[in-house]
Amino acid sequence: MGSPRLSGMQKQVLSLYRGFLRAARSKSTEDRRRIESIVVAEFRRNAKEVDRKNFLYIEYLLRRGKKQLDQLRNPDTTGLSSFGLDSSRNREP
Amino acid sequence: MAARSALLKYLRVNVNPISRTLNPSSSAGLSFNVFRRLFSEEVRGSFLDKSEVTDRVVSVVKNFQKVDPSKVSPNAHFQNDLGLDSLDTVEIVMALEEEFGFEIPDNEADKISSINMAVDFIASHPQAK
Repeated sequence: MGSPRLSGMQKQVLSLYRGFLRAARSKSTEDRRRIESIVVAEFRRNAKEVDRKNFLYIEYLLRRGKKQLDQLRNPDTTGLSSFGLDSSRNREP
Repeated sequence: MAARSALLKYLRVNVNPISRTLNPSSSAGLSFNVFRRLFSEEVRGSFLDKSEVTDRVVSVVKNFQKVDPSKVSPNAHFQNDLGLDSLDTVEIVMALEEEFGFEIPDNEADKISSINMAVDFIASHPQAK
C-alpha cells in the first residue's frame, strides 16, 4: 500500500510512543487520561519542532524517553512530572 | 463352577489380545476426533466475521477526533484519505487493540496503514474478540 517506508529511527519513536500509551493503560482512569495528554502533546511537539535530520538529538530524546517509560512502568508511578519541566531543555541543543 | 471359571479364564485370555490390538488404534482415533472437534470449534469460535470486523474498525476510526467521519470508508487509507500521520496511526491501532481485546505487536502494527489492512489483520487473528 502507498505508505512511505518507515526508517529505523521512526520505528523506534513509534515503538516508544506505543510503549507510553500502553503503560498509561495500566494506570487509573484519571492518571491515564492525564499521562496520555502529556505524552501525545510531547510527541506531537517534538515531531513538529525537531529537525528530522538531527539524529543525535533524536537519539538523545529516545534514550531519555526510554528511561521515563521505565519509570512510568513502575506500578507506583502515577504521573509524568519530568516531561513538563523538561520543555525548556527540549529546544535544539 | 470350575467350568465357569475355566470359561472366564478362557474368555479373558481370548479377549485380551483382541482389545490390546484394538486399543491403540481406537484410542488414537478417539483422541484425533476429540482434537479435531476442539480445534474446529476453536476455529469457528475465535475468528471474527469479516464484515463485523469492518463495521467495528470503521466506527473506531470515525470516533477518532482528528478524523472527518464522512471520509471514513472501508477502503480508506489513514494517511492518503484521512490525512493522518504515523503518530495518529499508532493511536488508532492502539484504539483497535482495546476494541478487539488483544495486543498487536510492533512489527505488525507498523504495517497497518489502512482500514482494509487493519480488518485483514484482525479478522485473521484468533485472539480478536
